[in-house]
Amino acid sequence: MDQETIERFSDHMQRTGGLTAEEFEQIAHLLRSVRFTKGAVVLEPGSVCNHAFHVTHGLLRVAALDRDGNEHIVQFAPEGWYASDRSSMYFQEPSRLRIDAIEDTAAVMVGQDFVDAACAVSPKFAKSNTTLLHNHIRHMQDRIALLLGARAEERYQKFIAMYPDLTLRVPQRMIASYLGITPESLSRVRRDLAERNFRPRV
Amino acid sequence: MTYRPIERVIAPGQPHFVGDGFRVHNFIPHGASVSMERMSPFIMLDYNSKWEVPPVKAPLGVGVHPHRGFETVTIAYKGKVEHHDSSGGGGVIGEGDVQWMTAASGVLHKEFHEKEFSKAGGVFQMVQLWVNLPAKDKMSTPKYQAIAHDRMAQYPLPDGGGSIEVIAGNYNGAQGPATTFTPVHMYNARLNKGGKAEFEFPANYNTSLLVIEGAIRVNGTEQVATDHFVLLANKPGTIQVEATEEAVVLVLSGEPIDEPIAAHGPFVMNTQAEIMQAMHDYNQGKFGYLED
Repeated sequence: MDQETIERFSDHMQRTGGLTAEEFEQIAHLLRSVRFTKGAVVLEPGSVCNHAFHVTHGLLRVAALDRDGNEHIVQFAPEGWYASDRSSMYFQEPSRLRIDAIEDTAAVMVGQDFVDAACAVSPKFAKSNTTLLHNHIRHMQDRIALLLGARAEERYQKFIAMYPDLTLRVPQRMIASYLGITPESLSRVRRDLAERNFRPRV
Repeated sequence: MTYRPIERVIAPGQPHFVGDGFRVHNFIPHGASVSMERMSPFIMLDYNSKWEVPPVKAPLGVGVHPHRGFETVTIAYKGKVEHHDSSGGGGVIGEGDVQWMTAASGVLHKEFHEKEFSKAGGVFQMVQLWVNLPAKDKMSTPKYQAIAHDRMAQYPLPDGGGSIEVIAGNYNGAQGPATTFTPVHMYNARLNKGGKAEFEFPANYNTSLLVIEGAIRVNGTEQVATDHFVLLANKPGTIQVEATEEAVVLVLSGEPIDEPIAAHGPFVMNTQAEIMQAMHDYNQGKFGYLED
């Protein structure tokens, strides 16, 4: 067990999940830490997702594969984020998503048993978990609306507001995939922004 | 003679790739023993030890990336690097040359093996250093100093021992061509077998040696092999280097910049708020645009 990873998750739970240190301690035995090297597959499409992966270090990617095997990135999970297929986990059905590591990653595996136990020991956690779920739904709704109706630059602006450092960590083609635009369109967006905002100093 | 003591000798660790063109051993920062603060103003040192690069059609290297808040110094020992930036600048760093880029308020650049070198393949050996800037200069205008090998000051050592090539700072009156924002000495000691050189810096200057070629004996006793890094203690005294075989040693010494360091990827500032600002500016195109 990687104690540092669990401790980071404990801090996160106390900060945002409403658990006290003592409550966390009571149920921590239900957690497992895990490490993935860059490129490792965390969840294969067709298998059931039994855990949410809370990233304490590194970066996971959640992607859907189309009929031709092309990937479409649904979500990035850097430090402090969860990567999972919520519906597969809840309904215990095969996932259509693939999760893989795009950096060496340390994560905590959070199963339904931990969530149930945390709800039982802490009403505060139960409430925060509901909020987290609705936040997730809000995020998905925003994302659908953006993908259906927003211009490329608007999508990019939302992306950098949410993930300020990912432009430094992932290649343009992955960001383009997440935004549902071509890499060329993303280049155009960035070039247009530079034309408006770059003041070369000589 | 009082020798300046050695704090530790660090062997090269497992190399990792920066992009696909630089296969480097990281010496600064290095685990718990060498923090950015410990070697300030030298806050990063990546050493590409000799690497036989096969001929390739598309040059290997590192794609477009930003920097803010410090200077990058590239010392080419073997092979050639070509670079381009968002202000339209660019050039080739050839064998023996040094490129001193003051990223300061922000530069977007890319670095690849030079085209002809890539086609032919060959041995590649480089050092890339990041030299921190004091808070008052972090947002100054970016600039380049392209320092060709023949512009470096040479101090011949007695008895045919070799020479000290001064990139920055001063060695016994030989003044290096690079201008710096804080006091920095940077030399290549090119020593013949048996050649000896002595170095003396203020005790508080963070000081190190990196053996690029050959092998040396430091302070009369400590044998140091090729590709090893020597961290000197911050105590007064003379550093004596003797080549036990023909050697090239990169000597670094600088006055520490006693300011807080907030570092995130390619940005090194003083506060977390300044890091967030750097990310924002980069994302909003304020570093310019450069085609991949």
